[in-house]
Amino acid sequence: MSRPVNYAEKCSRISNAFYNAGLEKAQIRDLTGASQCLKRSLAFDKYNTNARNLLGLIYYEIGETAEALVQWVISSNLKQEQNRAAHYIYEIQGKPGRLEDESVHIRRYNQALIQAQNDNPDLAILQLGRVVDHKPNFVKAHMLLALLYIGREDYARAGKSLYRVLQIDKNNPKALWYMSVVKSHTGRADVEKRKLKNAFSHHQMQDDDIILPPSYRENTGWQMVLHIVAGLAMGAAVIFFLVMPAREEQLNDSHNREMSQVLEQVNQKSMEIDEMEASVTAMESERDAAAAELQEIMDENGGVLSQYQQLAHILRAYKADDFPTAVELYTGLNPEAISDEGMQAIIAEIRQDMEERGYQVLADLAGQARDAGNTDLALDYYQKSLNIKADNPQVLYDMAMVYQSREEEERANELFGQVILNYPDTELAAKAKEARGY
Amino acid sequence: MINFEEELSHFKPSLEVEQVEDAIVDSDLTDMADIMMSLIREGSESKKRNE
Repeated sequence: MSRPVNYAEKCSRISNAFYNAGLEKAQIRDLTGASQCLKRSLAFDKYNTNARNLLGLIYYEIGETAEALVQWVISSNLKQEQNRAAHYIYEIQGKPGRLEDESVHIRRYNQALIQAQNDNPDLAILQLGRVVDHKPNFVKAHMLLALLYIGREDYARAGKSLYRVLQIDKNNPKALWYMSVVKSHTGRADVEKRKLKNAFSHHQMQDDDIILPPSYRENTGWQMVLHIVAGLAMGAAVIFFLVMPAREEQLNDSHNREMSQVLEQVNQKSMEIDEMEASVTAMESERDAAAAELQEIMDENGGVLSQYQQLAHILRAYKADDFPTAVELYTGLNPEAISDEGMQAIIAEIRQDMEERGYQVLADLAGQARDAGNTDLALDYYQKSLNIKADNPQVLYDMAMVYQSREEEERANELFGQVILNYPDTELAAKAKEARGY
Repeated sequence: MINFEEELSHFKPSLEVEQVEDAIVDSDLTDMADIMMSLIREGSESKKRNE
């Protein structure tokens, strides 16, 4: 049976009007008011798909998933083409586990309600706490939890649950009522009342009235002085805490730079000193070497200069025809110290002369000294004679005899031994054997 | 002031997912247009009877 057009159209218009009102309320999160409008809209036109879908959304938003499904299923049955409800149903039912979770939480709420209504509020609070943890937009659970907290006079926790409800559904009348009770017990109501009183002024403004900013305060004399002192203190504090550290840091940087420059100069000077010390050491070494060389030259005994002098004395003795003196001087000569070739030739001639007759002069001098009882001098002459001519058994024998007379048997026997061994068939060898007691 | 017991009694169980089908079946979808149609129909029937 078809509907009379005029009534149907009127109902549809009224339904649309309620839908629009419901939509406006939903947009400002007055979900309770919106659901009332939408229910009226559907009461005038059950085919108003938008109203039914929006009502389902509101149920879903306040945690009533089953109620939402009811509305969307009816909607999709009444209008099967181009209906947003199908999408909503798919969102709920299409994702695995989601519907089961919703079912668990709703069932848990219902259990908590039974427990609360059977004088078991503690267990109910525990259950509801778990429900709102997993389903924070479940308005009914928050409301029941708030009521249970109020029953235990735990107004702070009740306020938290109600605050959450009013975030979801701003004009939920029961939540507003519960909240007013909570505020009256926490003192929040008085605070808000004072704020409200201050916010509105019933004084009528006159033309010459001046609006003073809330921060303005009229200062008395001592307050001004106090402010000046405070300002000076703040200025000093700013200088102390902001300016001084910066200045100090600047000075430190400057000093550090100067210190690094000075240290660099010191290092450079140290290097120069080291170089100079090394140079001084090298020069001192050279000086010592030169001094040693000079000392070698100046040395009286073995020095080069003294050898030249010795050679000059020998030549002078030759010139004076004083051969014994020349022989004595020759014994103190070190020919190797004289490198001059011309001198070496002279020295060679002198050496030949000394080897031919000089050794005998020394042996004679030794004999004279021995006879005079000066055995030390005698041994010295004998030794010098041997230095000129070592192959001289007579000197060796005489020298051994001197040692024997001095009772230096060991040295005497050594010399007798040389005579016996080196000159075995000589008369001196026989004498030496006799002297040794063979 | 809140009467705790009374308030608690006002809370109703939430519709569970398993109850959705029953809820749909039990839904009263009668709208104003249906009521108007019913009234018009009743009016026309009574008119016929009177005639």
